[in-house]
Amino acid sequence: MILKRFLSLSIIGLSFLLVSFTLPNKLLKKVNKEVTTVFEITNFQLKLISIEDSINNQLVKKIGNDHLYKIESDSEIIGFAYIDKAPSHTAEFDYLILLDPNLIVAKTKILIYREDYGGEIGSKRWLKQFIGKKPSDKLRYEEDIIAISGATISANSMTNAMNQFLQNLEILQTNNVL
Amino acid sequence: MDLKLCRIFARKLTKLFIINLNNMRNLNNMRVFLSLMIAVAFTINISAQNSRRDSINNPNYQVNTAQRLLNGNINTKGVTVGGYAELTYNRKEAKNAELDVQRLVLLFGYKFDDRTQFITEIEFEHVNEVYVEQAFLQYSVSDNVNLRAGLMLVPMGIINEYHEPTTFNGVERPSIDGAIIPTTWREIGVGVSGRYNEASLRYQAYIFNGFESTTFDADGTTIVGNLGGSKGLRGGRQKGAKSTMNNINFSGKVDYYGIPGLRLGLSGYFGRTQSPVELEATAGADVGLAMLGFDARYAYKRFTARGQFINGNISDSEAYNNLTGKDLGSQIQGYYLEAAYNLLPQNKRQQLFGFVRFEDFDTHAATEGSLLRKESYDRQEWTLGLSYKIARGAVVKADYQFKDNAVVGSETVGQLNFGVGVWF
Repeated sequence: MILKRFLSLSIIGLSFLLVSFTLPNKLLKKVNKEVTTVFEITNFQLKLISIEDSINNQLVKKIGNDHLYKIESDSEIIGFAYIDKAPSHTAEFDYLILLDPNLIVAKTKILIYREDYGGEIGSKRWLKQFIGKKPSDKLRYEEDIIAISGATISANSMTNAMNQFLQNLEILQTNNVL
Repeated sequence: MDLKLCRIFARKLTKLFIINLNNMRNLNNMRVFLSLMIAVAFTINISAQNSRRDSINNPNYQVNTAQRLLNGNINTKGVTVGGYAELTYNRKEAKNAELDVQRLVLLFGYKFDDRTQFITEIEFEHVNEVYVEQAFLQYSVSDNVNLRAGLMLVPMGIINEYHEPTTFNGVERPSIDGAIIPTTWREIGVGVSGRYNEASLRYQAYIFNGFESTTFDADGTTIVGNLGGSKGLRGGRQKGAKSTMNNINFSGKVDYYGIPGLRLGLSGYFGRTQSPVELEATAGADVGLAMLGFDARYAYKRFTARGQFINGNISDSEAYNNLTGKDLGSQIQGYYLEAAYNLLPQNKRQQLFGFVRFEDFDTHAATEGSLLRKESYDRQEWTLGLSYKIARGAVVKADYQFKDNAVVGSETVGQLNFGVGVWF
């Protein structure tokens, strides 16, 4: 009887550990879909990467505890996923960055855009410009990243977000987090 | 009965309290006491939270809307505040300069939930004219489909939708976006908008209330025409103020932004103007309108360019002119081209754009019946100037305009403009 109880409790506990996302379902669905198409894989797990406070404090922008994941398939790392928010003109948008195992950007996507103004940054063709970028890269809006007419604020914001993330990657790499 | 219960409850509570105070060492009672304290603390906490919202309970927490915005709730609790402003200095040749707070627009938005939001822009023109520039409710059905209803901008050309001073060169908006497209053109309506990022397409489709072509004067006897030769449709805008409606108008725009740096737009507006019920059966009380617009914007590194072409066909303008004594053309048309170059190195935060713009527009591109085309309505303008962006949302502008028309021997009129613009 006690054993049964213990078992069921540990199962519940374990499932909590495994499904430790605080990401809203809507976001998670979109992330899963992107991972499936980019890495051409259906069987994978997203596992949270925890960053110690001492390292997190060194980062250009702190990484929240449900933002950075490793993507595993058959206990092999096939890439990384980063989900965060950045400001648009009057609201915030959610974006996703997928990295390959060598920390090179494999895909960026705008997951949720909440205002009308500047939504053009969701354009697949525009976001393609970030693919292939690596941790040491620094991007300059209008120079390395082509501007979008009518979406300057958001396009600039996304470029800034990418820069911060790439800088963070470099720091995480030197600290052997990734 | 309730009072009795309360008394009993109070007595029991006091008893419990006394017992607890007397037997503090008793672990069991200690637990009861602790949980009681937690419950009390919890209740106090809840009421404190409530009073923050409901200021009647506690004047210490009294806040008004402005304070709530200032307290940093912007963008986090659903409230958005923003705005833009244009302060201008215009000096036309042989005239004194005019200094004007041309526009001061305050934006307020509220997000009720992830799908529902309300957006409004309150506009002060020339300090003392108050308008509502936009006020609409938007409901997002899905990522690609938003439903909208209210006072909205008519999507035609570039400036009518994107008119914040940091987004365009020149102190004044292009003249074509005054004479051909009557910016800021807004009416009440319903519609759908959205985008497909896979195809890099944005679409908008609305049903609007249209221009008011005829009214009666204050006495209610004389027919007054709001549309005319020089300013085209501009005088017919109802701006959502007690606007009359007897004809539905359709408006739509598709934007393509799939080629990096380039953005293309195709807009259309079709319908008939509005008139009072006493007049609507009269020939010439209203006119038909079919407007098409094409626009392009391009940006590459330090270079930017934009242009637009607008053509409006007006049917029944002859009958309209006969009824109202106006000189409305049967076709209005125009285009402009603009190129700009950032004179500062790209690693600088600030930008200094030197620009040149050529405009050619005619509110008498064609006329009907006996109305002769007026050459002075066929206008050409050159604008040369600088836009100094001292910060992302703040610009100082200066330019000089050469305004000419097709009248033989007419003199070019020069105009000097300075301006300050902000957008936040």
